[in-house]
Amino acid sequence: MFYRVAGQYKTSYQADYALFPVKQDALLLALILVVAFVVFPLTASDFMFRALLIPVLIYALAALGLNILTGYAGQLSLGTGAFMGVGAYACYKLVTIFPELNIIVAIALSGFFSAAVGVAFGLPSLRIKGFYLAIATLAAQFFLVWLFQKWAWLYNYNASGAIQVPNTQMFGVTVTGARASAMSQYFVVLSVVCIVTFLAINITRGRIGRTWKAVRDMDIAAELVGINLMKAKLSAFFVSSYIVGIAGALFVFLWRGAAEADLFDIQLSFRVLFIAIIGGLGSILGNYLGALLIVALPVIIGTVPALFGLPISSAMVEHLNTMIIGALIIGFLIVEPHGLARFWAVIREKLIIWPFPH
Amino acid sequence: MKLNYTTALAAGILSAGIAAPALAQEVLKLPNMSYRTGPFAATGTPHMNGQLDYMTMLNERDGGIGGVRIVFEECETGYNTEKGVECYEKLKSEGALVTQPWSTGITLQVLPRTNVDEIPMFAPGYGFSAMQDGRTFKWAFNPPTSYWDGASMIMQGISDGNLDSLNGKKIAFLHLDHPYGKEPLPLFETLAETHGFQFLPIPVGLTEMQNQSAQWLQIRRERPDFVIMWGWGAMNAGAITEAVKTRYPMEQFVSVWWGAHEPDLKLVGEGAKGYRAISWNFVDSESKLMQDVKTHVIDAGKSQLNQGAGEFDTTAYQRGILMSVILAEAVEAAQEEAGTPMITQEQLRKGLESVNIDEARLAELGAEEMMAPFAMSCSNHTGHASAWMIEWDGEKFVKVSDLLTADRAVIDPMVEKASADYAAANQPWQMNDDCAE
Repeated sequence: MFYRVAGQYKTSYQADYALFPVKQDALLLALILVVAFVVFPLTASDFMFRALLIPVLIYALAALGLNILTGYAGQLSLGTGAFMGVGAYACYKLVTIFPELNIIVAIALSGFFSAAVGVAFGLPSLRIKGFYLAIATLAAQFFLVWLFQKWAWLYNYNASGAIQVPNTQMFGVTVTGARASAMSQYFVVLSVVCIVTFLAINITRGRIGRTWKAVRDMDIAAELVGINLMKAKLSAFFVSSYIVGIAGALFVFLWRGAAEADLFDIQLSFRVLFIAIIGGLGSILGNYLGALLIVALPVIIGTVPALFGLPISSAMVEHLNTMIIGALIIGFLIVEPHGLARFWAVIREKLIIWPFPH
Repeated sequence: MKLNYTTALAAGILSAGIAAPALAQEVLKLPNMSYRTGPFAATGTPHMNGQLDYMTMLNERDGGIGGVRIVFEECETGYNTEKGVECYEKLKSEGALVTQPWSTGITLQVLPRTNVDEIPMFAPGYGFSAMQDGRTFKWAFNPPTSYWDGASMIMQGISDGNLDSLNGKKIAFLHLDHPYGKEPLPLFETLAETHGFQFLPIPVGLTEMQNQSAQWLQIRRERPDFVIMWGWGAMNAGAITEAVKTRYPMEQFVSVWWGAHEPDLKLVGEGAKGYRAISWNFVDSESKLMQDVKTHVIDAGKSQLNQGAGEFDTTAYQRGILMSVILAEAVEAAQEEAGTPMITQEQLRKGLESVNIDEARLAELGAEEMMAPFAMSCSNHTGHASAWMIEWDGEKFVKVSDLLTADRAVIDPMVEKASADYAAANQPWQMNDDCAE
């Protein structure tokens, strides 16, 4: 009824392969974009921006980067946290060396550093696969975090070993640093995330994305039909690390404001990996759903007892939170092992034929 | 093709945001960013308990401060900087009068925001040493003494006041590889240069806290004349156990105040005899202050403290009490100056600047033996209280030195440079030019 596809005729191949073959999908997306660009800025508080919206977007972006590598190209990686760190430190160095540089340009450039590092650590993928590759990327994780600690040039010889985000302006509005308002930061993050998502959707739908999927499903077969494995795998590492690096730069510059090397440790890699797996490997939408579940839900659950005036201590709330989130993750994976994206796909299928199932 | 989900959740979030009850009641909101969970909970919890219990005691005994009840809400961070952002925003939106970040990492995130959001930051005994410079750090306070003060006092303690006697000696610095552990490095390096001792930093990563065999192997090989420890949470217990195991002479093992934690030492008991720590507070369970807390809070069953384990008699718990004493003094001073019991953030900032805990005031509070007198001012946001060297005698800590005082001639120029650097890196930075000096 609400999702009726009847009457939507495709009269050309172009229409059949359009981004939104079903009109309702486009409407839904438009609605979400209106909510994100208009409704939230009008209604949200600083807390909502900084504790919910910005982190969800940034984590979703990082998961999107990982998903391209793991979900589309089938190369398991445990180094996401470190690649985010490369992006963040590169952005910090760019901004401190060239203070005049526009922050968006700096963030876009910093992605190339992490892409280069990603490709370097992706080289073993030409020889090894699966868990063995995961171990190789794990080496990247530990090595890079160690480097962030020991290479004092990276943090400008700061005594505390941390990087601190300076105040930078864009078109007269402060967007990073302590003086930036939450809303301006939100808009920057949202715009970057939208643009990258749009590009990612198109890359994964196109020729490159199809070569990645072919490699993922069976690399020998892919090689036999003439796909250059080296090019496919390294381009996946490049694009993935680029997006992850941008996410890392946003993570520090538009959200945290300060970072020490420990921030980018293996916990962060796991967190992003969980978002990608729970959201759904090999999907774009899944990253957003996963980020909502892993990042936003704990914050929301944490505020519930206070809302009802329940006298529970904050430590207890934290314990309960961990348990509830853990149970939810297990529950979702039992109900739908292919992730939340698949969950939504099933719901959509049902909606299309509702209320007259065959 | 996107989420029905987001909209549903977003609606939920929105309604939650709108429905948040606005308490119109007249209370003083002095929240705390606690960590009773995670790897640092062992040392965090007694401090949090102490802070909370003193405020509860004021509510019970005096009906709050100046007749207004205190709401000492806790927001759990687990020492995690990510939760720190969340807590900061949450507490700010609730109208917190003060931020107590409780972690050097969170302090680093919040410090640049203090000037913008204009909420005083109260970091008793931790945070950035350069925060003593009230001209630069208008909204940040770290009484009663900073890490650089502590480092300077330790050096005096181990050299009997004559740092030149350390010439040619080797001093290892076992520290957490984290902004907190790195904080005193510049001071030690400066002192090593002036006084000709060899300084050897040995970092302990967050993942190696409980297994420091590599670090202690290095210590055994290097045979330093002293090991100075800057540890926290599980690291302290790990280091002490390892030191006993490798038979490192305890008389040469000195820690910053956070290492004066009885439960860590009870693990090895007699074995750690001779272990010293610099401490700005001292346990006095019979003092009037502690007895008041006992009567009004603990015996009344209003405390979360672990009585069976003797937490009441620990340095950490009583240090927590003193932290809240300082904050309560500031609130009282602010109320006096403002002429009203309901103070604002700006008035509390002024109150913190006029904290003056002298001998007479300590006697009034009933805490004469528990800490040294100090006072803050517009330009001095630390107060530089003196501290004792305390030593583990196998069962408890005893004072083994007179009050030590940090060497201002060395620290102040370094503070000046550090705060100038900080202001330069955070342009545009608002200086407080109202300070006379």
